[in-house]
Amino acid sequence: MRYGFFPGCTLESAAEELMISTKKVANALGIELIELEGWTCCGASHIQDVDGFLATSVNARNLALAEKLGAPLLTVCNTCTLMLRTTKKELDEDKELRDKVNIGLRKSGLEYKGTSEVTHLLWALIKDYGLENLKKLVKRPLTGLKVANFYGCHIVRPPDIMGFENHKNPRSMEIIAEALGAECVDFDQRLACCGFHAVFPAEKEVMKLTAINCISPKLAGADCIVTPCPLCQMQLDMYQPDAQKGYSEDIEMPILHLPQLIGLALGFSPKELAINRHIVSAVPFLKESLGV
Amino acid sequence: MEKLVLRIHRYDGVNKWLQEYQIPYKKNKTVLWVLTKIKEEIDPSLNFTSACRHAICGSCAVRVNGTAYLGCKTAIDEIIETFDTNVLTFEPLKNFEVVRDLVIEWKPKVKKMKLVKPWLIPTKAGSIEKGFQQSEQEFSKIASPTDCILCGVCTSECEQLSVNDGVFLDPFILSKAYRFAVDSRDGSPEEHIQPVVENELWKCIHCMQCVTNCPKGIPLTDQIAYLRKVSMKMGAKGNQGARHAYAFYGDVKKYGRLNETMLPLKTDGIMSTISKRIPLAARMVYKGKINPLHFPKKVKGIEGIRKIYKYAQELSK
Ligand code: SF4
Ligand code: SF4
Ligand code: FES
Repeated sequence: MRYGFFPGCTLESAAEELMISTKKVANALGIELIELEGWTCCGASHIQDVDGFLATSVNARNLALAEKLGAPLLTVCNTCTLMLRTTKKELDEDKELRDKVNIGLRKSGLEYKGTSEVTHLLWALIKDYGLENLKKLVKRPLTGLKVANFYGCHIVRPPDIMGFENHKNPRSMEIIAEALGAECVDFDQRLACCGFHAVFPAEKEVMKLTAINCISPKLAGADCIVTPCPLCQMQLDMYQPDAQKGYSEDIEMPILHLPQLIGLALGFSPKELAINRHIVSAVPFLKESLGV
Repeated sequence: MEKLVLRIHRYDGVNKWLQEYQIPYKKNKTVLWVLTKIKEEIDPSLNFTSACRHAICGSCAVRVNGTAYLGCKTAIDEIIETFDTNVLTFEPLKNFEVVRDLVIEWKPKVKKMKLVKPWLIPTKAGSIEKGFQQSEQEFSKIASPTDCILCGVCTSECEQLSVNDGVFLDPFILSKAYRFAVDSRDGSPEEHIQPVVENELWKCIHCMQCVTNCPKGIPLTDQIAYLRKVSMKMGAKGNQGARHAYAFYGDVKKYGRLNETMLPLKTDGIMSTISKRIPLAARMVYKGKINPLHFPKKVKGIEGIRKIYKYAQELSK
């Protein structure tokens, strides 16, 4: 399996641990990730507020780079996936727009043809790789670990663009976690928004959301949250101490990236997966539950 | 499946309780059919609203198993299949005051909606005698937002509203502002957009709940992006949301990538960043999550990206 890899800006900076763990896990699974040379920021759902056509053009360029590589494009970020898939849908359904965008792309020697699909690691594991193949490589079943699967908005909504599974009751995260031997807890905020995209203009409200998103799985008995999105991880982890300030009850909840959860089951140590970089430490409960 | 178990959140104005009913399952029936069946055959004290039964009046929206649906348009089979259960839990829409059982109060929302002047402010081009003609292309701009039936589904699921103290405008209100701002017969779009800017436009958290659940498929989040774009053109660029969007816009042009270290400074300004974000920055540096000295290098092909920017700018003129 070979993909054009679109890391997205956070993997180069504040979520570098996701880059580390994604590469480790992909390597162990035999998935070839070829980083797209010259990829740009997807706009993170902000550039369209300034110029919608530009946001489409910038992502058309990213898609064209994957097409040049002759591989589907894979990301590990919900918002990158949504931005790229939105662009692909717009261009594939509107020839006039595609022609207009391609005039700009040709100025940089590229063309969008529509030949590469856009997927997320979570979906690729289920659809392309196969659960049975994943199960075969589990060296350290996550028995006894209670995980709360926090999907994040942009991997399920809007369904006409994302569409991998039923957006009101998705199961992909649970399917993977259970294949790794973990126990999944049900909690109210499973499909909630982390608020990351408005953490500056809506700080007060987003901190409230962060607290609610941590308390809900805690009450459900989870050891940790796991998420397929670095932005959700950052919001819930990095800002947790700030969110705690508004609450008397203890909201402490470790937040893992999906590849880190997979990596633990494949036998890597928390350090190898850079779990020690998180603000809310996950190491004590991992020691307790898995002995690592 | 033989029966449906219906758990309904009841409220009599003072007390709240959960009441259970059972009815035989029937294929191809709607959510509204279930409620009507209970009211007509089991419990006439149950309150809910409905009128047209054809997805036109917008009055039958209700939450089932955790999300809002338009009752007369939604098949129970869809819900049974989604949640793999014969137990349906009914609640009134969220983010509204509840009057009785599943009945919600619209008055405060209508009052709030008036802020955006949801009526035409006519251009001078038209008159009572000549009328207000519109081309097909001009009409297509308002075709989608005029589909809104004020069902409240978008509001119910809006995650900003769930934590907001009530200032943030409900998605259908934002849509209403958009609808009049883009109408070719309206002579004063600013009068619809200015109140939107003054009432927390940038607090939308991009949760996509509104656009996902709207039974009329109205592209609410695109409309929000439009309102933001035009508000900045009108000069409202000094707020955090606009500065944040421009930080992304500028960084991609300059480097191709986002400079996350500089993002707070560009969004909040130096003083606010120093006073508010030092503890956050300190814990991130301590854990090795950010390197304050890391600056993105220009990506390969940056000249091409700048050409794309230039081209987009020319087109927008
Ligand atoms: S995308 Fe914005 S307006 Fe729509 S539901 Fe979410 S927060 Fe509300
Ligand atoms: S925008 Fe859609 S969901 Fe919201 S009130 Fe109108 S029809 Fe209902
Ligand atoms: S009863 Fe009128 S929209 Fe459902």
